[in-house]
Amino acid sequence: MGNKGITRRDFMKAGVFTAGAIALGPGVLKPIGAWAATPAIKGPIKVGYQAVMSGTLAGYGEFHKMGAVMAMEEINAAGGIAGAKLEIEFRDSTLKAPEAIKNARYFVDSWGADFLGGIDSSGQALALAPVMKELDRILMVTHAATEKLTEDQVFKNGIKQVFRICTPTYQDGNAAAFIAKDLSAKTWATVSPKYEYGYTCWEMFKNTLGKLKPDAQFTAESWAPFGTTDFRSHINTIMDASPDGFYSTEWAGELITFVKQAKQAGMFDKIKHVLLPVGAAMDVLEGLGNEMPDNIWISGRYFFQYPDTPMNNDWVARFHKRWNHYPAYVSETGYSTMYAFKKAVEAAGSKDTAKVISALEGMTLASPAGDRVFRKEDHQAMYEVPWGLTKSDPKYPFKVMGKQVVIPAKECFNRPPFEGPGTKPPF
Amino acid sequence: MLESIVHVCLAGLSTGMFIWLVASGLTLIFGVLGVLNFAHGSFYMLGAYFCYTLLGFLGHNFWLGLLFGPLCVCVVGFVVERYFLRYVYHLALPYQLLLTFAFVLLFDDLVKVIWGGGSIGSPTVPGLSGSIPILGRNFPVYNLFIIGVGPLVAVGMWALLEKTWWGRTIRAASSDREMASAIGVRVPALFTAVFVFGTWLGAMGGGLAVPYVGLLTPGMGEAIIIDAFVVAVIGGLGSLKGAFLGALIIGLLSSFGTRFIPTFDMFLTFILMAAVLLWRPQGLFGEAA
Repeated sequence: MGNKGITRRDFMKAGVFTAGAIALGPGVLKPIGAWAATPAIKGPIKVGYQAVMSGTLAGYGEFHKMGAVMAMEEINAAGGIAGAKLEIEFRDSTLKAPEAIKNARYFVDSWGADFLGGIDSSGQALALAPVMKELDRILMVTHAATEKLTEDQVFKNGIKQVFRICTPTYQDGNAAAFIAKDLSAKTWATVSPKYEYGYTCWEMFKNTLGKLKPDAQFTAESWAPFGTTDFRSHINTIMDASPDGFYSTEWAGELITFVKQAKQAGMFDKIKHVLLPVGAAMDVLEGLGNEMPDNIWISGRYFFQYPDTPMNNDWVARFHKRWNHYPAYVSETGYSTMYAFKKAVEAAGSKDTAKVISALEGMTLASPAGDRVFRKEDHQAMYEVPWGLTKSDPKYPFKVMGKQVVIPAKECFNRPPFEGPGTKPPF
Repeated sequence: MLESIVHVCLAGLSTGMFIWLVASGLTLIFGVLGVLNFAHGSFYMLGAYFCYTLLGFLGHNFWLGLLFGPLCVCVVGFVVERYFLRYVYHLALPYQLLLTFAFVLLFDDLVKVIWGGGSIGSPTVPGLSGSIPILGRNFPVYNLFIIGVGPLVAVGMWALLEKTWWGRTIRAASSDREMASAIGVRVPALFTAVFVFGTWLGAMGGGLAVPYVGLLTPGMGEAIIIDAFVVAVIGGLGSLKGAFLGALIIGLLSSFGTRFIPTFDMFLTFILMAAVLLWRPQGLFGEAA
């Protein structure tokens, strides 16, 4: 064998020495720095993140990734989480519940994830909740909006492992109704997605607006299945009903297609009051560009022009520099999720699930979207998102929000039957 | 009420003709080569993306984009047929499906790598971008254009297959490969040509879709390919006449369904397909096996 390579004995020696050094390391090398006192946290901190990365909504996966990766880069450059490096692995959720469960199990059982994040569809979120309890890892939901996740699974069924950092259907249904009550429209109609999310939002919008303005009437509804590219027959239904106001929770590419086709059919000339709860998503605004009509009410889970604070403005500038994009709402929720984990782990002094859950409950997080409070009872983050009327701005190649109206979260977020400090956010 | 019925009809016609444009290439390839080409939806998607990209280089002239975009996809179709599909013709149908499905996944990822995962809003076509009032309600000019293009493509394909020497050769080769090659037809080359022509039809559908659906997304081919398959099955696999009629029926059915029986609109197509298959398992114009 000669001198060509290391012998088996050398290899063993090296191995024993390395193992010994690792074993002795923490004792021999004295921990220094701020985190010397928290030896309970052994890095790295691993976050398994899943989002839709294939099919027509693949763009959302990219937006999630931009936010999460940017947070990881910043956190690691600034010394990590409690001194430990943050690692993220991404997987495609394909928008299907079984795939989401498979990914979660892979993340925890095979990869050793400490925390999970992501999830775009409500169906996936609801299917994952019991799995999270079994795996005993925290899942921070960054996009799926169903209120059943927090009200039923977390509050009623006591699945404490699930949190949600984005706005729920309250924003799309209740807050829209608060906007609608001040408009002159009496009759309302909808074209919305033919699944859980669409039905829930329209139901919530009808109930809340019905209470706020008892003479409101709901005259037509048309439901578009997932993947609809031709909305013309749905638009015909609305034109036949000729309502004063129009509400739609169509989102992403389908909303872009819908707006274009409704515009061609002259719908926006006939119906003056239009509410699009997910219309302020960046993919929609960029996708429509100048084709987005003016004076349409739009909102989202976060909009980069709000709040006008140094924290948000700096972040938007950094984000634009890093990715050459304005942050989509899932970029913001993905980004803030990492900081929520950081703050909670550092406060708990541990990455142990139960300890981090107590740290997250009632925690206030300063984020680009403003201060978020994780309501203790149902783990829903309370924060505010603006509604606004579309208008052109020479600074941007797409329509932005003109007049901005903010419906306080404490007014429009459902109040499940509980009281306590977490339900009264410091807004 | 009249204006409603007219507009529901127009919406249905444009939907149907649009599906026909995509289904025609699928049907042709099945009729001649006997290949169920799952990747046809990918050719549609590539047609749209190439058309969109070329628009940028060609001074935003939609017609030039529509001319050259699908030609680029033809090169892709050529490679797929000549270097991959040709080797599975003699194998069982599942092999063809697996291979073409693999191409679907491949092309979806390729589009994401090249154009990014997000959706791209598409430009409008000068001259065809507006809408005209019909009975007091606007209808997009571009959709009228699609309603006109559909039958033109159908007549063109009929003339090509029934009236030309090339068409006769194709029909001969598809009904008896061995005899055709025995009398001197270069069957492999002919099949490649037909596949490339089918690819071109699919890519043209994609190019025309750019202003029609108004949006380009990775995976956009998967939604339309289902409709195209349904149409091909109802009409009788391989029958162009059947596919045309099938597309017309599906388009109108979905339009009327959405407007008047919204609860069941998703099932109507499949109920129709089931009914047709029970009554005529070979499809409306298919040949009995």
